[in-house]
Amino acid sequence: MEDDETQQLSTCLVKIGNARDKVAFATLFKWFAPKIIRFGIKTLNTEAHAKELLQETMTKVWKKAHTYDDTKGKASTWVYTVMRNVSFDMLRKIQSNKEDTISDDIWPMLDSDENSNEDAYPDHLMSRTMSVHVDQLPENQKQIIKGVYFNELSQEQLAKQLDIPVGTVKSRLRLALAKLKQYIGEDS
Amino acid sequence: MIKYHPSHELLDTFVTGQLPASFSAAIAMHTELCEICRNKVAQLESTHATSTFISSAADEESDLTADMLFNDWEIDSLICSITGNDEIIHATAAVPQAISFNHTEYLLPRALQHIALGKQLNVGKLTRSRLDLNEGAIHASLLHIQAGGSIPNHTHKGTELTLLLEGSFEDEMGTYNKGDFIVLNNKHTHSPTTQQGCLCYTVVDSPLTFTDGIAKILNPLGNFIY
Ligand SMILES: [Zn+2]
Repeated sequence: MEDDETQQLSTCLVKIGNARDKVAFATLFKWFAPKIIRFGIKTLNTEAHAKELLQETMTKVWKKAHTYDDTKGKASTWVYTVMRNVSFDMLRKIQSNKEDTISDDIWPMLDSDENSNEDAYPDHLMSRTMSVHVDQLPENQKQIIKGVYFNELSQEQLAKQLDIPVGTVKSRLRLALAKLKQYIGEDS
Repeated sequence: MIKYHPSHELLDTFVTGQLPASFSAAIAMHTELCEICRNKVAQLESTHATSTFISSAADEESDLTADMLFNDWEIDSLICSITGNDEIIHATAAVPQAISFNHTEYLLPRALQHIALGKQLNVGKLTRSRLDLNEGAIHASLLHIQAGGSIPNHTHKGTELTLLLEGSFEDEMGTYNKGDFIVLNNKHTHSPTTQQGCLCYTVVDSPLTFTDGIAKILNPLGNFIY
């Protein structure tokens, strides 16, 4: 029974994302509305705020449904995070008199094609563990690794940028790579 | 290697969106660096979603429903007005902003991208920039300590949260590295020093009090760091 419901919610959300399906949205709206109202009264205290939470949350659901990926999680969890973000920004407005809507920075909503983020966050190009090892390198070797592998600079460009001879770039790179291999070897 | 993580209770409150922004930002920056806590947060989100939306207990606990606040006509017109708008919100890949302390450039973590930073103030090797979060007694700052710098032995009336963003520092209890999430309360006194310099995000809910003889003269510094 519960699994059926989960499946149904997920189907609705996918239909909204893919086809702007208004019937699916109405179904979703009516299913979530009482629960969102209840959550709103509990966390924001007044009925007026709870209504605002419902309206804002469902508006975001309508506009962001295309970012939902049904292979990555349940529709209810996705809607919960949308509602939580709206509620966080509303609480901030109520308690701190701030309208800075920072919830999307604290809980970033990524498009299913997360690749677009790689340029902005070079860390993602390498596995997290690898970047931990890079951080263990001495500063001058770290610079070289980051320049070559994260920023894709040539050794010549890097030499110019750091104002050191190309030979120094080459030798630091050699040292750094040897050390990284060692770190990885030690781990396995 | 990250050794210090937020407590389960903190992560749990974080997930519900009810933790102050200063603390929420700290946890967001930590989870960006820490896969363990990232997974815990995903798990907790799923748990809270289930208890809020799915579990039948949630339905029975209160007899209030949307029908009591809206009539059918209002619900339909709300649905119509929402679906009448064809706009789509795209997830935007933020271009990270850089911030400079003492001529060193740092990338500002994503959680802080849209929070205004106050003017940088210097005392010795310390530089502080306050975040404009407006959360009363809770103050959040970026604190930069130059290589060889230290903070004299001090204690706190309340809680001090430090998230190490870059570099490392040591105190009586050990060495801390990038990503470490350190919470101290009034039971601790400590005097952190940094050999290579570091950038921290700090949240303090009351001024620091310096405890050692000569450092007591520095008590105005307590307000500086707070
Ligand atoms: Zn962690």
